[in-house]
Amino acid sequence: MQELKQLEEIDRDIRRLKEIAGRLKAAQPEFPALVRNADRILASTKMLELNVCDLLDLAAE
Amino acid sequence: MMADSPYWNPYLETLPRERLRALQLAKFKRIFQWAWEHSRFHRSLYDAAGIAPADIRTFEDIRRVPKVEKSMMRDIQGKDPFPYGDALCVPLEEVSAFRQTSGTTGRPVYQPDTWQDWEWWAECWAFILWAQGYRPGDRVFIPFGYNIFVAFWAGHYAAEKLGCEVVPGGVLDTQARILKIQELRATAMMATPTYVLGMADTAKNKMGIDPAALTIDKITCAGEPGASIPSTKRRMEQAWNAKVYDHAGATEIGAWSFECQAQPGGMHVNEAFFLVEIEDLQTGEIIEEPGRRGKMVITALDRHAQPCVRFDAKDVIEWDERICECGRTFRLVKGGVVGRADDITKVKGVLLAPAAIEEVVRGIEGLGDEYEVVVDRPGDIDRITLKVELMPGAENRVAEIEAQLKDQLRLKTNLGYKLEFHDYGRLPRYEVKARRFKDLRKQH
Repeated sequence: MQELKQLEEIDRDIRRLKEIAGRLKAAQPEFPALVRNADRILASTKMLELNVCDLLDLAAE
Repeated sequence: MMADSPYWNPYLETLPRERLRALQLAKFKRIFQWAWEHSRFHRSLYDAAGIAPADIRTFEDIRRVPKVEKSMMRDIQGKDPFPYGDALCVPLEEVSAFRQTSGTTGRPVYQPDTWQDWEWWAECWAFILWAQGYRPGDRVFIPFGYNIFVAFWAGHYAAEKLGCEVVPGGVLDTQARILKIQELRATAMMATPTYVLGMADTAKNKMGIDPAALTIDKITCAGEPGASIPSTKRRMEQAWNAKVYDHAGATEIGAWSFECQAQPGGMHVNEAFFLVEIEDLQTGEIIEEPGRRGKMVITALDRHAQPCVRFDAKDVIEWDERICECGRTFRLVKGGVVGRADDITKVKGVLLAPAAIEEVVRGIEGLGDEYEVVVDRPGDIDRITLKVELMPGAENRVAEIEAQLKDQLRLKTNLGYKLEFHDYGRLPRYEVKARRFKDLRKQH
């Protein structure tokens, strides 16, 4: 049960991370270093989603 | 501690089967919807079959989704958006990497990937390497020509992701690679079985270096089925004094399976990231039960730029009834990929899988690693010629080896062969994928 709660917390943090990286990417479209590095963070965040968020969202019992 | 975990993802890899299946179904719906919405190629394929995302509710529904053949991908490439064609699901400017298939079965197929897809490739490989005991602190030597073929590129990135130190063995020749392994005391390596044996041969016979005395303790093989063929695995493990693990993947699919440290005589399918179905070779019926061979139809559940949805991979596999002692709930395919539907051919009315010949040849002491199989039809009857090499010193045992070879071939393949014995070093050597099976009957 505690493990599940912990996973839910991790899940929330991943979603926050995605939201922040998305905001960074959109913040200054004329700022290549910001846009491209934020994009890479989003790609890595997607791997966290596949490993954690999908588990909670899609693997329903 | 992280390194103590036997699993890259302790939750996904031990998920109860029913939850794993629920995950696969949900992910299939998601990737099908993605392809249907973003790829003109997939949309027209599905429209023609009268199937849309709302129709996918069960695994039975998935079986109604039309398969994609490699020839279909060949047909669309070269068209807009150039050079990939209209299976591309993202704007062209989001494609960050080009790769192409090796062209073993025809004109190479181009594969576009976004940066996210490359992250995904590395993620798939992270499951593989962790399961095979790679850990932070390993020094991984990768002796392949870094080029347009996907080969071990993602293995490279995954090893970095794990925290290993990667030594790219790029354009070095075989001797320079062996010296670099020795100089840096590399602990792990990735290569095709053909090259693993070829490197050992070069080290021993041309350089006077015993590869077993080097520091490599694990080797990941891909590109050919050899690491799942017991006699080939044994030769590699003895030559290098290392554990040898199999892995199978493909450019247009991804890295879909791996052997774990338990070495169960088969490979796990990464069922959290892939949906594997097995079709009967003759009837096309889906095989659920263990012990029946068929060809693989596979979906990469998270690949975006050019989706792989029910791809007819033509790899011949069968489910294993066993549950692996490693604790993973991912199903095993018994004996790995046992052949290609294209290669498994009828000779004299008998189904012949070239892997069975390799198992025999490499199980006989006194024979070299190389061999070649030629099937032709000089008159009305098929003929199989098997060319093998005698190891130096085995010349006076030809009769004994020949008898052993004939017996074993008859036992394992139920066929008779014309045998040709060659001096050691006379048959072609290969660096990447070997082409040892030649069917000349189509030319007659």
